[in-house]
Amino acid sequence: MLEFIQTLVSGIAVGSSYALMGLAMVLIYKTSEVVNFAQGEMALLTSFLTYMVLEYHGFPFYAAFPLALVFAAFLGFFLEFAVLRRAKEPNILGMIIITIGLEMILMGLVSWKFGADPKTMPFPLSPYDSVQLGSVFVSALEVLNFGVALAVMLILFVFLRYSKLGVAMKATQQNNMAARLMGIRTNRILMITWGISSVVGCLAGLLLSPMTMQPYMMWDPMLKGFAGAVMGGMTSLPGSVFGAYLIGIIENLFGLYVSIEFKSVVAFAVIVLVLCIRPSGLFARHYVKKV
Amino acid sequence: MKMKRFLVGFSAVVLVLGMAFAVNAEEGVTDTEIHIGQWGPQTGPAAPWGSVARGTDAYFKMINAEGGIHGRKLIHHMFDDSYNPAKTKAGVKELQEGIGMFAWVSGVGTACGLSVVDYLMQRKIPWVGPSAGSLHWINPPREYLFAVYPLYYIEAKALTRYAAEKLGKKRIAIAYQNDDYGKNGVKGVAEVLEKLGMELVAKVPVEKADMDMKPHVMQLKKAKADAVLLWVTPTHAVRIVGTSRAMQFTPQWLSTSTCSDFPLMYKISKGLWEGVIAATFGELPDADCPLLQKYKKDAYGKFAAKNERWGLFFYAGILFSEPLVEGIKRCGKDLTRERLVREMEKIKDFKGIGGRISYAPFDPAQGYECRQGQKEVFLVKCLKNGRYEKLTDWMEIR
Repeated sequence: MLEFIQTLVSGIAVGSSYALMGLAMVLIYKTSEVVNFAQGEMALLTSFLTYMVLEYHGFPFYAAFPLALVFAAFLGFFLEFAVLRRAKEPNILGMIIITIGLEMILMGLVSWKFGADPKTMPFPLSPYDSVQLGSVFVSALEVLNFGVALAVMLILFVFLRYSKLGVAMKATQQNNMAARLMGIRTNRILMITWGISSVVGCLAGLLLSPMTMQPYMMWDPMLKGFAGAVMGGMTSLPGSVFGAYLIGIIENLFGLYVSIEFKSVVAFAVIVLVLCIRPSGLFARHYVKKV
Repeated sequence: MKMKRFLVGFSAVVLVLGMAFAVNAEEGVTDTEIHIGQWGPQTGPAAPWGSVARGTDAYFKMINAEGGIHGRKLIHHMFDDSYNPAKTKAGVKELQEGIGMFAWVSGVGTACGLSVVDYLMQRKIPWVGPSAGSLHWINPPREYLFAVYPLYYIEAKALTRYAAEKLGKKRIAIAYQNDDYGKNGVKGVAEVLEKLGMELVAKVPVEKADMDMKPHVMQLKKAKADAVLLWVTPTHAVRIVGTSRAMQFTPQWLSTSTCSDFPLMYKISKGLWEGVIAATFGELPDADCPLLQKYKKDAYGKFAAKNERWGLFFYAGILFSEPLVEGIKRCGKDLTRERLVREMEKIKDFKGIGGRISYAPFDPAQGYECRQGQKEVFLVKCLKNGRYEKLTDWMEIR
């Protein structure tokens, strides 16, 4: 029983980083229907630059981390403004290919600048300190990660539901043309969405970095976050979070009770199963366009 | 008309002479150059091992700066295969059929090597010092393939014996990368434990894509292991040790030579690597070995990139290439592949910056004897700040 609870807690803990990545991807998808495969690498670049200012330039944490978030926002703005918006006759598939290209460029940039040796981010919390709940262990960093994921979800929920900008983002997603006719500057909305999404992804990157950093570190969380988002329905923020935690829990339980060798791929098998039963994901809402 | 006949005759003579010359000349060798190929991951998940190829490059440049070998310069052709066997195969074919390599040296990764081994052997192209301690290189042995890296299997045996006999550990487990590299480790541990009448209490596979190590650590903890061998990548090793610390599980960790770059491991584990015991195949970075110090000064100091680190993987690129250079030197001016193989087979107790290296005339029944060059390792322990403590001398494990 203890093993089961420990595995469950571990699944939830690892699900938090997937959840943040999933949230970041859903944000962009909601407004533009583009799956941003550069999401992980945007976080990677910000994390490595944060590492650089902390390790080599002696920045204090309280300055480095807020700066990282600001940089992440500008990186998102920049990529949308300078790259995606420039695409001629854009279609969804073309945009997705552009994000794959961006992913390669950003990873190449990090590999070139920082080399391939693994690194670890200086961090106020040790990733190896744990909190003990009875006989169950969870690392302090994972508790923080969990808290951040929930807080981000809550903030995004409130933002999208109650703020003017949030409502404009939803309007842009549902009908771009109508939104423009209503006076919404949809291009600007897209740019802001990329910025917010980049900040959310950056949080995931920063929280993963204290363990080990290397140019490939964001690929797996991005893929699992994406998988969680697909399971949740791609357009639903709570759905993506739920999907991400579900994946974390399923792969941990599968690793313990069935086969640790297939633990990483079982999540994808579950997605296939879910999509067979509910093709739009668990939490998706359909907007039917009347002709 | 006479002129036309003369031209036809002259062309025929030139053609025949040219062909005769081509038959005599060895591919990849000219009067002034010897072309050597090598692959190594400069990008991708195994990129930390990319410094092996850069180490070889600096070593060859040092040799060239000192006049080359019998008047010939070593021309090093290295390419990035991203640790992807498909890319390795494409790159090797491109270089071999495009430029023509005389021989191949080092080359990181068992799977990458396996993708080209048949190609090279069928064409009778020598390959010296694959950067992987796999049994595949000597089982079955191949006439043109000379292994240097001590087998992972041997390292696992040495570590298991040390854990059981010297440290008195009773419950030994292994966390291994679920591929040939990791399985070689499992084989070594299992054999020793069987001989000692002990049981391998857990063998936990780690997939390359795995990031969360809790399920793995839980299995090790559940098995109540008091010593755990790590046959994984440096990143996974750090994650396992770190996750174990967080779960208050602290066995004696023992690791393969791929994680024996202690300064690096100590840094990325934030000090947790202290106390880990590892097998290693080369002199320690700060060892009082004149040859190693010469390489540090003349190869690393003069030809390495500005931010390159003098670490184990970098000078492993030199270590794996030393027997090839020795073989070429022994050939003298008359350098052919056949001659190289014969001269390599005469190498006995050659001492570079690793253990002693010996080969023997090709015997398909004696792969380990005739084609496994280095059979020695020694064990080290990580101290504070990534310093090394030598636990054993060079030892040959059978």
